[in-house]
Amino acid sequence: MPDMATGNGHVSLVLVSHSAEIAQGLAELVGQVAGPEVAIVTAGGAVDGSLGTDGGRVLEAIRSASQGAGAVVLVDLGSSILAVRAALGELSDDEIEKIVVADAPLVEGAVAAGVAASTGCSLAEAAQAAEEARRVAKL
Amino acid sequence: MSPSSELLAERGARLPDGVALHARPAGALVRAAASFTSEIFVSANGKRANAKSILDVLALGAEGGTQLVIAASGDDAVAAAEQLALLIPALA
Repeated sequence: MPDMATGNGHVSLVLVSHSAEIAQGLAELVGQVAGPEVAIVTAGGAVDGSLGTDGGRVLEAIRSASQGAGAVVLVDLGSSILAVRAALGELSDDEIEKIVVADAPLVEGAVAAGVAASTGCSLAEAAQAAEEARRVAKL
Repeated sequence: MSPSSELLAERGARLPDGVALHARPAGALVRAAASFTSEIFVSANGKRANAKSILDVLALGAEGGTQLVIAASGDDAVAAAEQLALLIPALA
């Protein structure tokens, strides 16, 4: 079950990956950079623990984050995006308003959005920080 | 903002030995920078980073002991540069 703490006014993150370890490890990394105030929900791997995406798990994660200041959703590859799209189709209009899916690299986007969220920025600003990650040179 | 209200401030600060500008310290620096309205840049090793962008700051690759230069411009530039110059040597 995702653990949520969206009541503190900070934008949350939802991390969707084919791998539970990738999602969990990234949540730990973002937590270290952004500090403890940003809630991070992970939806990684298939139900049986193998690699894959589980639509129910993704929906539960996104729905749990679609409150408070809202959440930026970051995805890894292919069917993660399909699972997120399917989950969005299940949400109410009020819930959808609180969700932005960022077109961003997973690791860099999550770190950028997490740090932005930790400063108390808006949902749109956190999503923008994630998407700007596409343009930042690593070297 | 009119140009006449622009203030410029520059301060130097040294990272503690053994504290590179990696995830945790870089996050602390960026969060502090974000509390100011001024534009703030941090320079090291001939590179310049937007101090409010975590990915930019991480890409500096600044190792422990590196001398950084903080350059701020805007209404709270002096406070920003001074506060960050105090923060950087205290990063852990």
